[in-house]
Amino acid sequence: MAKISELLPRSAILLNLKSREKFDVIHELVEPLLSTGAITDASEFVSAIVHRENMESTGVGLGVAIPHARTKAVAHIVLAFARSEGGVDFSSLDGKPSHLIFLIAAPEEQKTEYIMTLARLSKLLRRDEVRVGLNKARTPDDVLTIVQQYE
Amino acid sequence: MVERALLYVERTPGMAKTAAWTLNLARALSCRVFAVSVLGGSTIPHRVPSEPARRARDASASDTEERAWELLYEIEDDAFGQDVRISLLLEQGDPLQRILNLSANYDIELIIASGDTRLPVAELVRQTTRPVLFVK
Repeated sequence: MAKISELLPRSAILLNLKSREKFDVIHELVEPLLSTGAITDASEFVSAIVHRENMESTGVGLGVAIPHARTKAVAHIVLAFARSEGGVDFSSLDGKPSHLIFLIAAPEEQKTEYIMTLARLSKLLRRDEVRVGLNKARTPDDVLTIVQQYE
Repeated sequence: MVERALLYVERTPGMAKTAAWTLNLARALSCRVFAVSVLGGSTIPHRVPSEPARRARDASASDTEERAWELLYEIEDDAFGQDVRISLLLEQGDPLQRILNLSANYDIELIIASGDTRLPVAELVRQTTRPVLFVK
């Protein structure tokens, strides 16, 4: 089972998210994953993410959102991370905007790995030290170091 | 008509059947499910634990939290496949009190738990003003 830090390409770490609307944010997060080859059909993947967002909130509170989808449009599990200074409305149950956004893309057939990745990431992001560190990170390497340190 | 149901999620033999039954009900009623798992309350040690003991305790708590998330996300994945709206909540503290508080906070109209739940069933039924369903 790969570690979170191994699933997160440096090129998919966006520390100055421009978009403020969640579906624009998702497009912005998907963009760097296309060049990694992990997402084979961007349109299908975005549709799956949008469908899930319309069904349920992936804003998990504490300023964190984890949009995720498991579809045939994904070749292997991959993550993208974005930080938004102003926050993005992911309809969190606590009503607060999300500043730390992790997107998870997984292939249809890798349900177990997908669930385990979601669980490990959720656990990681409940730690105050991790969220503080991610909010302070200046470079993608800082982000990876924080994740490696606590996972 | 029930619009919001709370499913108490825990690792018991009857949980899978309870979750499946809840999702079927939610789909039939077009109701939203709040899947709630509660980690045990923080305990105050009687004495300062040794470093190895503290590490072992922390590792165990970390594993428990990860397993709880896995169970919640498995249910979420099944819900998504059935077009059932679901929200996941991982709480800390006394399970009975958390359920009572969340039921009030989210205007829950029905509480569902497995028939083999570890909840104090009599206390839950006595203290809540909402219908409670135990799935056997």
